[in-house]
Amino acid sequence: MTVTGLLPDRRGLGTTVALAAGSALALAAFCWPLVAAAVPADAQRAAPFVAFAVLPAVIAVVLAVLDRQMHSAKAVALLGVLAAIGAGIRIAGAGVGGIEAVFILLILAGRAFGARFGFLLGMLTIAVSSVLWGGFGPWTPFQMFACAWIAAGAGLLPVISPRAATAAAVRRARVLEIAMLAAYGVAASYAFGLLMNLWFWPFAVGTSTGISYDGTAPIGENLASFAVYSLVTSTLTWDTVRAVTTVIGIVAIGPAVLSALRRAKAPAPAPTTTPRR
Amino acid sequence: MMRFRAAPLRAAAIVAAVFVVSRVVYRIVFGGGSGGGALLLDLPRVALDGPFAHIVLFGPITSGGIGNAALSALPFAALILAFGVLNALIDVQRLFVRGSTRGPVRAVSRALVIAWATAPALAQSVSRMRRAAALRGERGPAALLVPVFEHTIERALALAASMEARGFAASARPDADPARPVALADATLDQGEGWRLDTGDLALAPGSLTVVVGATGSGKSSLLDAMSGLFQHFEGGRQRGRIEIGGLERREFPPRETAGFVGVVAQQVRLSFVAETVRDEIGFCLTTQGLDAALIDERVRQTAGELDIARLLERPVTALSAGEATLVAIAAALTCRPALLLVDEPLAELDDSARLRVCAVLDRVAHESDTCVVIAEHRTDEWQGIADAWLEIRGARLIAASGPPEPAPDELAPTGITAALASRAGSTPGHPLASVRGLEVRHGDTIAVREASLALLRGEVVAIEGANGAGKSSLLGALAVPDAAGRVSIDGVDVATLSAKERRGAITLVPERFDDLFFSTTVAGECHRADRTNRPPVSTADTFLRLLGRPRPAAAIDELLLRHPRDLSAGERLCLAIAIQLAPSPAVLLVDEPARGLDADARRLVGEALVAVAGSGRAVLFATHDRAFAGRFASRELRIDRGVVTASAAEARA
Repeated sequence: MTVTGLLPDRRGLGTTVALAAGSALALAAFCWPLVAAAVPADAQRAAPFVAFAVLPAVIAVVLAVLDRQMHSAKAVALLGVLAAIGAGIRIAGAGVGGIEAVFILLILAGRAFGARFGFLLGMLTIAVSSVLWGGFGPWTPFQMFACAWIAAGAGLLPVISPRAATAAAVRRARVLEIAMLAAYGVAASYAFGLLMNLWFWPFAVGTSTGISYDGTAPIGENLASFAVYSLVTSTLTWDTVRAVTTVIGIVAIGPAVLSALRRAKAPAPAPTTTPRR
Repeated sequence: MMRFRAAPLRAAAIVAAVFVVSRVVYRIVFGGGSGGGALLLDLPRVALDGPFAHIVLFGPITSGGIGNAALSALPFAALILAFGVLNALIDVQRLFVRGSTRGPVRAVSRALVIAWATAPALAQSVSRMRRAAALRGERGPAALLVPVFEHTIERALALAASMEARGFAASARPDADPARPVALADATLDQGEGWRLDTGDLALAPGSLTVVVGATGSGKSSLLDAMSGLFQHFEGGRQRGRIEIGGLERREFPPRETAGFVGVVAQQVRLSFVAETVRDEIGFCLTTQGLDAALIDERVRQTAGELDIARLLERPVTALSAGEATLVAIAAALTCRPALLLVDEPLAELDDSARLRVCAVLDRVAHESDTCVVIAEHRTDEWQGIADAWLEIRGARLIAASGPPEPAPDELAPTGITAALASRAGSTPGHPLASVRGLEVRHGDTIAVREASLALLRGEVVAIEGANGAGKSSLLGALAVPDAAGRVSIDGVDVATLSAKERRGAITLVPERFDDLFFSTTVAGECHRADRTNRPPVSTADTFLRLLGRPRPAAAIDELLLRHPRDLSAGERLCLAIAIQLAPSPAVLLVDEPARGLDADARRLVGEALVAVAGSGRAVLFATHDRAFAGRFASRELRIDRGVVTASAAEARA
């Protein structure tokens, strides 16, 4: 439409930069208990509020940037229906703590359609399920980013292509890919738990316990407290259950879902058409 | 925008009640059942150990505890109910439709509209897949997961394409020149993976009807999509050369922006229906333009009147016959008064009378209202005398032809294989392999099949012909899974007394939507699954290859077996479905509408496969509305008319 449209590659680069910058800012918000320890005492009290305010703003910007990239009606349709399915899975599993089957869908869709699509899908899935289920709260923006990263990360894993065009080679490549995604699923499950614990830990534990957050303490001490908190809160329990269900899900339905998604072939988000005038 | 529907409110009330009950159950199980009031039940406390040491199960349950648990769930239950009330009062779809044409997150809101509209399809596909799984002998909900997922994605994409082509979320509506509906200059379509089509130069005039012929997979649909813009903007295909629609270069304008100028009737019209009722469906394209409701209503009535379908306006789109559905889809494309109408295989699913009606309608649209009509079709007879021009796709090129292409010679001549079979069938007299007596099928109050009686001999291929809605599918369904004893017996055994597994060893059915039988991601996986469930003497893969006929080199077989079942050609897919249903070694094979939507080559492939199946000592019964196909491949023909089965007219004379 304008001059920038003549250079679709550069516009794609711009989106990548915007996404990376947004993600870095969001990560800082997640890590506010660690970051806050490094700033003066007055600023420390403001840190959680800054973290809470920053995330929705970053989400708004990132969504607006990605929205302009969604040229193809097909990609839009896939995004919508997968977000709805993801939300459905999440709501259906809401009563069963820790069994977050939605990770399976996010990882497989991010793998099939790429990092940017996955990023949007992760955000939208959480947003839709939160709005539908009324689970909207201060944690929602954090969940949106964490899920966006998980789906996008699956899209950034290396491509595995068969070495030869024989049945055996194709099968081996498929098995390797599923194994890689399952391993990624384990890592993602624990990382998700750690990230979600990190920002919430000061609120969850409160003050005057052995593992409470202390803004004045050195970062090493806080990290140790956090490690203990995380271990007893979720790493051994919910996160492990989540890792196991994710692996089972990816192994059981991964090959079929991946090929179903790949058959749908979402066109690249960057425009394949020449710009108008 | 406001209306009242009870269903969402009822659903919300159920969900809210379930929520309150489950909250109480959680409390009881996880040791939270106490809290004042009378003691109802004193369960022992069970403490966990290890990492779960802080969790105690059960414990005393009191009326106060249960009351507290229920009370704590009420705010949230009220929220669920509130959403139910909103859903019951507000047509969210229309709200989205209005909201997604402006604002910074247009694409995201469009995504949500499509997700919203796809949801009802999910329930539908679950019940369809359950039926298919039962026919195939697959069990358990896990087997359904992936097919249902695939169906949902398929429906979402069809819906999105349909909404795009009808102007949903268009932000601009450029002026197009109705005097130049289509002009192609040295255009090439390219979809990667080696597929391409050279269209050369081509100009189509207003008020003309052009028929594009060519085999399945030759690119007829892609050519139409390239004119509607779906090829370039939806499928991600690449266009070279110039394609001008109304003087606008197709590459530069997405389909939604030319929706008022180009009308599209999709191949699978039912998948593309957007609205709930026929009235809303026909008016959808006007709604996307934000027109006044009264004006839309008037235009919808007018269009429906012109096509003589005004009596259908209040019907839900799910309650239309195949012929009605096609006419509604044509009406929905015509309400915006397009200068170019693109219709993809409108006749494939229709019986004779519906075909004539659709042909007459399209004839009138082209020649009385100055619309340029382009039709993709592999049936040519019906368009003789109506078409002004013929285009043929042959060898990746689009060629202008003076008339319909000559049918391939083998389409007409009887095959040797049928003749040999007829003589064999005649030489095995005596008692029938299967006999049916007094079979009746009811759907609610209507009787779909009335007192049907027939017999099948070993080695014969029997066709049962009838118009759409005559009761063919109901009859086959009742034969495959009879619900009353004493009606269907095979080899002297009453089928109704058999277990599901034994029954599949006697009789199996390939349903009309045979793709529903596919549960795996590769042909090899599909065959392996059938072998595992049924342990046939010949592996299913071998049966499949034999049904395909032609011998092929090992590398080609490897490649074939590695493909996704849904990526095979229609004829190959049907052969695969037949091979799967042969795995339990049934004495009788039923096939519903084997010839539907197939081109000449595929019809021959499938017809010969059916004959080969009968040749292996089974009986084959297939339903069809295609007389030519029945006459060519069946050794005997039956007719069904409004649920009554009779010997065919030809046979009655003999």
